[in-house]
Amino acid sequence: MTVTRLISDNNKKLTITIQDKFDFSLYQSFRDSYSDFDSPNGQIVLDLHKTSYMDSSALGMILLLKEHADKLASKIVITGPNPAVLQILEIAQFQKMMTIE
Amino acid sequence: MVTDLANKEDKVALVVEADVIHQRLLHKLLGQLGYQVFIAENGRRGIELYSECMPDIVLMDIDMPVMDGYQAAREIKKLASGRFLPLIFFVKQDSEDIYINCFDAGGDGVVVWPFSPQYFHSKVKSVERIGILYNQLQALQQSQQQDAELAEQLMAGVIEARNYGTDKINIVAQAAELFSGDIHLTALCPNGDVNVLLGDFTGHGLRSSIGAIPLAETFRAMTKKGFSLDKIIAEVNRQLYQLLPTDLFLAAAVATVSSHDQSVYIFNAGLPDVYLLSESGRIKRKVNSVHPPLGIMENLLSDTAISVHTVKQTDTLVMFSDGVIEARAPSDKMFGIKRLEKCMKAGVVSQQAASTIIEEVNAFCHGLPQEDDISIIEVPCGGWGATSVEVSKQAINLNNTNYCLLEHDNVDPAWQWQMKLTGTRLASVNPIPMVMNQIQEIEGERDRWQSIYTILTELYVNALDHGVLGLSSELKSSPEGFAEYFKERQLRLNQLASGYIDIELKYYALNQGAKLVIRIKDSGEGFDIKRFFAKASEDNGTSIKLSGRGIELVLQLSDTLHYYEEGSLVEVSVLC
Repeated sequence: MTVTRLISDNNKKLTITIQDKFDFSLYQSFRDSYSDFDSPNGQIVLDLHKTSYMDSSALGMILLLKEHADKLASKIVITGPNPAVLQILEIAQFQKMMTIE
Repeated sequence: MVTDLANKEDKVALVVEADVIHQRLLHKLLGQLGYQVFIAENGRRGIELYSECMPDIVLMDIDMPVMDGYQAAREIKKLASGRFLPLIFFVKQDSEDIYINCFDAGGDGVVVWPFSPQYFHSKVKSVERIGILYNQLQALQQSQQQDAELAEQLMAGVIEARNYGTDKINIVAQAAELFSGDIHLTALCPNGDVNVLLGDFTGHGLRSSIGAIPLAETFRAMTKKGFSLDKIIAEVNRQLYQLLPTDLFLAAAVATVSSHDQSVYIFNAGLPDVYLLSESGRIKRKVNSVHPPLGIMENLLSDTAISVHTVKQTDTLVMFSDGVIEARAPSDKMFGIKRLEKCMKAGVVSQQAASTIIEEVNAFCHGLPQEDDISIIEVPCGGWGATSVEVSKQAINLNNTNYCLLEHDNVDPAWQWQMKLTGTRLASVNPIPMVMNQIQEIEGERDRWQSIYTILTELYVNALDHGVLGLSSELKSSPEGFAEYFKERQLRLNQLASGYIDIELKYYALNQGAKLVIRIKDSGEGFDIKRFFAKASEDNGTSIKLSGRGIELVLQLSDTLHYYEEGSLVEVSVLC
């Protein structure tokens, strides 16, 4: 269970990758992954290609990320959720609040 | 309460050591750290002494007669299970094998003879620090457990104890080891419909229940006052948005079950599908989530509507939380939606869907602790409030007395109340909850208010639709016309600039009981009362009627009904 991040050279794009389970145990490292990213009008990509499972506290953590992004007028894109993770995002109707690819 | 080993008085150490010189040395060093010291000369004696002195720390030799240090360490650690007991081995040789054996036997540290007093002191202090952390963690876990128990008690004992209709609604709730925020609410609407909510707050323990009290209060108060489902949901969402931190929210399904309308209104915001089943166990409808959970967005999304489903009295509504689907067997398999549907179909036939599901889930999990709360609510679609309204011939006979002005016993009312809505306010305000509030404030709660609510609603809608807006109920004579009618109604409401409706209540205290007189006057042209009732008499017999149901209902529920001023003023009296 790890959170890794990548900031693009122009400092406009932050990519956060979650491996294995996305749940409350990642709370601190997930927050740390974006809290110092303060480049306005950028893009935040939450890469879930390698995420096997997600629970409702992860939904809450994504909302915190969205709050951060909104402050920076940045967009959030969630990429690559597997069917089980996508289902959780869809039951919560997150596609109405952010882009899911 | 955290016991701090470093500062604790009466610290006790147990030394299990065969060598007499080592015994003395350890005794002295421990004494300098404030320990009271007990000494055993072999493993067997060490175990006996452990139970007598209950030490805070154990120092263990390895090569001893009767029983060696490894075995003694294992036995003592077993006896100490549930508390943290630091155990340090004191060895004469240092080899990797010895280290491994020491740690395998449960040792928390290894010290090799000889050593300096300073080294000994820092070693003991370091295991004391671990002990402090351990105790703090244990205290935190206990307090978390207490919070969770408090939260669970709050939900079950305080909030859910006030649920309505629990003799007919089956609610199965099985909290996880650490309570996880499921909430179940049912409440009676003034017109006899029932509102049901199944919610799942994020988080665990007390944290997951802070939204429960405002949620329950709002849901009950607004239901009782007759607010429509969309208004209740919007208000709940607004409150939770203001109250809860960003990452806390409520996934919920909310439904109004109306036997009178033979309809169920469903709104699903973040819960698994809500099911409607026939009495034979056929799945008639699955209503999926159409909105993010409540408390996330400041306002509800405008494109989401409550879905309306026509039901039979024998149909059943089933809601459940995701804890059911995600319940795990020892094999790590999840219960899943297929098993759930199978149990639901089988159970609903005997009106025991909820208990059938939970029995299967528990058998499936083989007693493994649940990670999440499990909730299932099963609501019958029939038998709520005033059921089918049959036209009473007597009531619609054109009795002459129906048209004479009735004197109200020449007495002053105990109280009276009046409100007049005009122009655009008619399109934006529903005054009925306010009127009901007024009655409840003055006279307290009574079952009778249910029918007053229905009477007021029907008369107000007639005054607005046919009086102010001038819509003809003829339009509603076919199902297509029904939709057309509501389209036209919305159009005229949007353009409404003039017109008024005046509502007046007079409450008379009688020798026995009381009489409530309701007068509603509208700015419309009125209608041909005689023709309406004559037509109603003719129609009495046709099975499906799409108009006129409202006034039949009022006739049934009231004691007198009178129209004045060409039908633009209606007066109803009700004994209560």
